[in-house]
Amino acid sequence: MTRDISLTVNGTEHELSVEPRALLISVLRDELDYTGPNVGCESSMCGACTVHLDGEAVKSCTVLAVQADGCDVTTVEGLATDGEFHPIQQGFQEEHGLQCGYCTPGMMMTATELLDRNPDPSEEEIREALEGNLCRCTGYQNIVRAVENAAEKMQQEPAVADGGGD
Amino acid sequence: MGAESESGSGVQSVDPDDVDAADILGSAIERREDPALLTGDAEYTDDIELPGMVHMTIKRSRHAHARIENIDTSEAEAMDGVIEVFTAADIEAPGNLPTGWLLDSLEQVDHPILAEDRVRYQGDALAVVVAEERYIAHDATDRIDVDYDRLGAVTEPSEALADDAPAVHDDASGNVAFDWDIGDAEKTDAAFDDADHVVDLDLENQLLIPNAMEPRAAVAEYNPSNDELAVHMTSQNPHLHRLLMSGVIDHPEHKLQVRAPDVGGGFGSKIHHYADEALVALAAKRHERPVKWTATRTETYLTDAQGRGHDTHAEMALSDDGDILGFRVDTAANLGAYLSTFAPAVPTYLYGTLLSGQYDIPAIYCSVTGAFTNVPPVDAYRGAGRPEASFVVERMIHRAAKEVGMDPAEFRRRNFVEEFPYQTQVAVEYDSGDYEKTLDRALDLLDYDELRERQEAARAEGKYVGVGLSAYIEACGLAPSELAGELGAQAGLWESGLVRFHPSGKVTAYCGTSGHGQGHDTTYAQIVANELGVDYEDVEVVEGDTDEIPQGMGTYGSRSAAVGGSALVKSSQKLVEKAKRIAAHQLEAAPEDIEFENGDFHVAGAPDRSMHIAEIATQAYLAHDMPDDMEPGLEATSFYDPDNFVFPFGLHAAVVEVDPDTGEIDIERYVAVDDVGNQINPKIVEGQIHGGVAQGIGQALYEGAEYDDNGQLVTGSMQDYTVPKAEHIPSMETDSTCTPSPVNPLGVKGVGEAGTIAAPQAVVNAVCDALDVDQIGMPMKAERVWRAANAATDGGEH
Amino acid sequence: MEFDGTFGLADVTTEEVWLALSDPVMIKNALPGCQFLVEVDNPDDVDFDALEEAAAEEEDPATLPEADPEEVAERGLAQGGHYAALVQVGVGSVKPRFETVVTIDRREFPEMDASGQGSASDSSFEMDSGMTLVETDDGVDVEWWTEADVFGRVAQMGQRVINPVANRVVGRFFKQVQKELSDVGDESSGLRDRISSYI
Repeated sequence: MTRDISLTVNGTEHELSVEPRALLISVLRDELDYTGPNVGCESSMCGACTVHLDGEAVKSCTVLAVQADGCDVTTVEGLATDGEFHPIQQGFQEEHGLQCGYCTPGMMMTATELLDRNPDPSEEEIREALEGNLCRCTGYQNIVRAVENAAEKMQQEPAVADGGGD
Repeated sequence: MGAESESGSGVQSVDPDDVDAADILGSAIERREDPALLTGDAEYTDDIELPGMVHMTIKRSRHAHARIENIDTSEAEAMDGVIEVFTAADIEAPGNLPTGWLLDSLEQVDHPILAEDRVRYQGDALAVVVAEERYIAHDATDRIDVDYDRLGAVTEPSEALADDAPAVHDDASGNVAFDWDIGDAEKTDAAFDDADHVVDLDLENQLLIPNAMEPRAAVAEYNPSNDELAVHMTSQNPHLHRLLMSGVIDHPEHKLQVRAPDVGGGFGSKIHHYADEALVALAAKRHERPVKWTATRTETYLTDAQGRGHDTHAEMALSDDGDILGFRVDTAANLGAYLSTFAPAVPTYLYGTLLSGQYDIPAIYCSVTGAFTNVPPVDAYRGAGRPEASFVVERMIHRAAKEVGMDPAEFRRRNFVEEFPYQTQVAVEYDSGDYEKTLDRALDLLDYDELRERQEAARAEGKYVGVGLSAYIEACGLAPSELAGELGAQAGLWESGLVRFHPSGKVTAYCGTSGHGQGHDTTYAQIVANELGVDYEDVEVVEGDTDEIPQGMGTYGSRSAAVGGSALVKSSQKLVEKAKRIAAHQLEAAPEDIEFENGDFHVAGAPDRSMHIAEIATQAYLAHDMPDDMEPGLEATSFYDPDNFVFPFGLHAAVVEVDPDTGEIDIERYVAVDDVGNQINPKIVEGQIHGGVAQGIGQALYEGAEYDDNGQLVTGSMQDYTVPKAEHIPSMETDSTCTPSPVNPLGVKGVGEAGTIAAPQAVVNAVCDALDVDQIGMPMKAERVWRAANAATDGGEH
Repeated sequence: MEFDGTFGLADVTTEEVWLALSDPVMIKNALPGCQFLVEVDNPDDVDFDALEEAAAEEEDPATLPEADPEEVAERGLAQGGHYAALVQVGVGSVKPRFETVVTIDRREFPEMDASGQGSASDSSFEMDSGMTLVETDDGVDVEWWTEADVFGRVAQMGQRVINPVANRVVGRFFKQVQKELSDVGDESSGLRDRISSYI
């Protein structure tokens, strides 16, 4: 028994049949080959699977694909536009905000949502916003700097801030 | 290279395009591996999709210790989409997982890849399901019915060694895996007889779960027409996995490829050879279809090799003047249910040999008993033995300074090793160091005297501020192989590096290490570009594939730069030597008259008579005009086997405020001054320190594998086992000094584990200092701190 | 892990509570997620699938106050008796269905001890339980205790998750018992007398 749904992922529309219990992360990864978002814990604790659903950061391991029917999904693959990195990607690169990179896609999706909401967050606000995204490599310090770096860039060039593809 | 930074504010990274070729080594350039990781282009094992691929899951024991009476797989096998369910009884020769480090007294026990009639930890593998879809495989696993006859379980090493403990293995009497000691017992006893003061502490170093963000996974594919088997897996050491797996599943090593794609962190947990990856390979052979297995997070909690797990009684003998006279340490070490790949080495040679710390201690004796218990195998976890040693030393130093009434910084200074090389009483010889320098730098950053005054003032106001110091030492790049062999290693500890010029003058460097977040592609390219005098962008780095790289030992123990990087240096130097002879031949000069600078060979005194090394590469492959006795081509392989370990060191300090009413701890400042020798890329060094410290703070405050009386893991999810979040970790102030190592050509020492080694005792010492108590156990959760704050200072475990 | 507690039931007699807590039908109705609870001959050989099918087809007999106290006493838990139950409990993100077998080890008014075990696909438990009824000024206190060993996925969630679940199940159970018993109190005193006579 499957259900027909439609998902717009990074601007591309996909029609597909899914099992009612299929999770959004499985459909993105296994059916549509968006392997940027990762599975880290299956319990919404680690945030490696974070994507944007209609502009809101969600943990795609706890969203059913059928719940996302008709929604716009943005994954890490949709952050860069025309080969140009999104400021958050530049921030992570410049500040060494990643090591193994496994948490990074989810981390950046949460961070871009924060910056949409709060263009100039304090360190405390950044740490608080990232409480649902775990990183085991960096100790978070350079992640915080990366988000600050991106905030600065986005404030200087507001046009770039729309590059998230939401 | 290796310039010392000026303050604790952090390293600024630079674009590699903005760095002069001559300055590439030592520059904090941005990492070249990042673009793929930032765009989702990275390929982790679970990202791999192959035509016809099927999925595998593993039925695991629910009980920590039980006899297996029956496994009923019929219902699972009858499900649509299930291809096969197999148990130990269904495979011809279920392999045993080997132990790669032997000790004289070691009790070796069988470790089958599928349990037959007995399980010894919750998570022991019982049956394998192969199915068309991942969902189906998981559903079928739930329908396997296992009849257990439950046995008593034991999870703590000191309990396992007690007389009435349940026997984990019938052959291992008293659950003793080994008895091991180091140092001079008589000399140490005599030091204690002469002591003015003796202090002692009971110290527990709790069990930890590594929690790499990427769960372990493997994809295997088998080609029956040529018997070639390829395993793509989450590995820190593909060559080692290939060697071990070829024995476990009885497949010829030369027809087995192990490849580590992008790997999402390891921290030791992806060194070891587990049953799971071998079962994936077996399943691929049985069905001649690609097979994928990816651990759920639950499985990683139950089966990833854990770390630490020491119960220690330590005593220190002191003089009235504040000299350390002797040190005696007795440890019961948890090895878990079976001997994992390097398990016997961790609580012995990687632990006892570091018990001199940064101090000139004239007599040391350490005895360790390894205990089998009903927890998952315990093996190397970031630091592996050295955090345990540093924890014991630095907790005791803190206690000892108080005993003799000295400031802990001055007590350390008084007892520091000053002359190098220094032969310790526990076998190892320190290569180089300058311990006062890191101490002084840290005290400066802390504004230590002012801090002590503030502490006193705060106390008068009813606030509990504490300062904790940790003067750590670690040993990296375990070597040489001959020594490792004498100590029980069943492997060499060299590293191989192949550097190959292409005819166009571009370079590919292959190294037997296998990075998983450390930035080797960047740092190795910096090393090779510097040695060859070619552009950084002209060097490609390849790691992690047994089909591409001649041989290798892998990445662990902070060895990659010191051993792998040095292998690439050696190979590069061989290339330069050969290129110099070609240059001499073509420039019609004697080789000894050729000078090499920034990639150019020129005749001494005639700088215009020159050839660039890239040009020589072209000539070497054209082979139209070579010296008489020379083969064409320009590539070289080295097997670099260092003469000694390298010994990074540093001083970490935590400043905390403790609320005695709630037991809450606030880390106000964390200062880290590290000396890792020369730094290839200071930004990467800084990142390693940050991450290591975060794991160390995690151990001090939050983390711990906890089991109930039946050996059931009760911290088996990310909700229950607190992996620190961004809010849990303070902003760190990092700085460094530079004392190059004389051991290797790069003068590097290793940095991957330093933070994890240093941090726990810095935080515990700070909390003890704040509350003026002798002892608090880890993790220092609020209730425990509250109890310590509100109990008499009796020196016992709270 | 150990759980215990006291639950006060108002306006009831010890005999009424005893009879109610001895009635498998009442227990089944009051226990959240309980599909059936029936007596079985051999605790080691229970066909839960067949029992579930049978339970789905049968209608539940009446409980007090509608039921005849004599019938209730007749079907009541017996010392040495074995009972099979299928209980589904939501624990965190999982909802294991426990196939449970309980044995009444001791039953002496007003005290009862039972032991049992249950197993689901990825979790199981073993337990010893007991209860004592104590008359109070305005009713009866049920003093109960359970020592349980939990295994598998549920155990991994630890007491943080299990304690609230246990409290919720116990709380709902006694609230339901209270509700049913308050109907008994509403009936004519004749029912109360008849109940006492069956103890």
